[in-house]
Amino acid sequence: MSEYAFRKIDIDALDEDVLLPSDLFDPDPRGPDGALADAKRKSTDVRNLVSKGDIAGALNSILTDPPYGDGVDEAKKLTTSALLLILNSTRAAEIPGILKGLGPDQQDHLMAYLYKGMAALGHGQDVSGSVLLTWHEKLTEVAGVGCIVRVMTDRRIL
Amino acid sequence: MSAPEVFQLSMGPLTGVAFGPDRSQVAVSPNNNEAQIYSRSGDSWDLKQTLSEHDKLITSISWAPNTNRIVTCSQDRNAYVWTPTAQGWKPALVLLRINRAATCVKWSPKEDKFAVGSGARTIAVCSFDEENNWWVSKHVKKPLRSTVLSIDWHPNNVLLAAGAADAKAYVFSAFIKGIDAKPEPTVWGDRLPFGTICGEFASPNGGWVHDVAFSPSGDALAFVSHDSSVNIVYPSGPGEPPAAFISVRCPSLPYLSLTFTNESQLVAAGHDCQPVVFSGSSSGWAYSHSLDEAAASGSRALTPNATGTRSASGGGRLNSEAFNMFKAADTRGQTKAPVSGAGAGAGAIPVGSDGMLLTVHQNSITSVEPYEWNASGEVVKVSTVGKDGRLVLWPVSGKAPGGIAGRMANLQM
Repeated sequence: MSEYAFRKIDIDALDEDVLLPSDLFDPDPRGPDGALADAKRKSTDVRNLVSKGDIAGALNSILTDPPYGDGVDEAKKLTTSALLLILNSTRAAEIPGILKGLGPDQQDHLMAYLYKGMAALGHGQDVSGSVLLTWHEKLTEVAGVGCIVRVMTDRRIL
Repeated sequence: MSAPEVFQLSMGPLTGVAFGPDRSQVAVSPNNNEAQIYSRSGDSWDLKQTLSEHDKLITSISWAPNTNRIVTCSQDRNAYVWTPTAQGWKPALVLLRINRAATCVKWSPKEDKFAVGSGARTIAVCSFDEENNWWVSKHVKKPLRSTVLSIDWHPNNVLLAAGAADAKAYVFSAFIKGIDAKPEPTVWGDRLPFGTICGEFASPNGGWVHDVAFSPSGDALAFVSHDSSVNIVYPSGPGEPPAAFISVRCPSLPYLSLTFTNESQLVAAGHDCQPVVFSGSSSGWAYSHSLDEAAASGSRALTPNATGTRSASGGGRLNSEAFNMFKAADTRGQTKAPVSGAGAGAGAIPVGSDGMLLTVHQNSITSVEPYEWNASGEVVKVSTVGKDGRLVLWPVSGKAPGGIAGRMANLQM
């Protein structure tokens, strides 16, 4: 195996001009504290709106300028759980109508959260796979596979 | 609209394509270290000569229409300029001085320079050195952070656009003293020493910039990136934010190549397997139609959707082509697959009953280039090549945006 040892050398350490993942996107203009405050406020808003039955309004609020990037884990967690609450409290028949009311940016963000939810299945998150799959199916019908490609491409991890 | 002409040049992917000045010859690389020159006779293309000087895969070919010279570049980090002689094409090595693969090459409009993009975060701008009788290069390095995937020349022979894997599209000056006269001021800038950065743009969701293209006037720049978007930039002046930055998000898979047909129309093609037309102006751009009629007649986007549904009414996986085939065989003893539904809703599946795609290209389109111009300088035909080894010539209706008159003019009685 020793002849493969060279594959483990960190060649980036020898390169003075390394391209880091964080160089590929602009950081959140709000900064970590601003993003957290924003996420807290929105998460409360969402709970109020959901209890009033205004799913479209709640989704619209949480998918506008979601926190992304490094150092905002707490804000990301709050936003994700607020979003999953919305997804869980929507009737399947209402989904297509709600999705058509979202802007292209919001549709892309929603797709990103759906994949994030799928990645977290079985890790204590309060979400069921069938709910996520239903949303995924309806969203793909509305926004096309381009929406999925944009989620895979985007370096601004939600 | 007449039908596209389809030619199967190779069984594997075609990695570079360049037509000769009179369109009777084409140079392609069948995904290896050789470039093949085909000559057209009637409806077929005959192999005339094989250019084999490169050691590794040829990544790009460019053929100068007026001076009739070919330049090829390859993963072996070299480029050769080929000139025609009585004994066939003769190569001349270019000193690129790069330490990674060359990825793309293009002659400048005046054909006295060419640019080579590479994996070494460098663009080599090459010009002919009369004294030493060889091609020398000058490097643009900053601010490129990653592999250069595509380049395009501004019609003034000085400005150069590049798309890179660092998710940015750039516009540089490639002014070479002694070759270029001082260029007229453009919207991109007035003082242009070599290497000046005139613009740096990114698409909203990032992703590799697969191709860049200047509009015919050079006053607008379009680029396609891996987030399935087509972006058009209208600069306002040096050092100022662009007058308009239009980003069209598509429901389809990403595009790999694009070309303008006139100031208000462009053709993009890629993983979607069909060339599509976008039209617009500085106030906005939108998807117009697909050049692939089989695809266009079915539905707007012919991308397979993730759920495999064929109609807007849904039905999920139980409505797929394969399922229907087995159902027909089981209940009615039919072995012929059902005819794919005409008028299927959004997201029709592009696979026909014979397992072939309904599009002309059977795999990703890697390059779309102008093929024929009309008297007023608008592109009326484009060529595409794909990973399926096909070369296709498509008529593009030069209709005015949104006008039905253009469409009517193309009706054949």
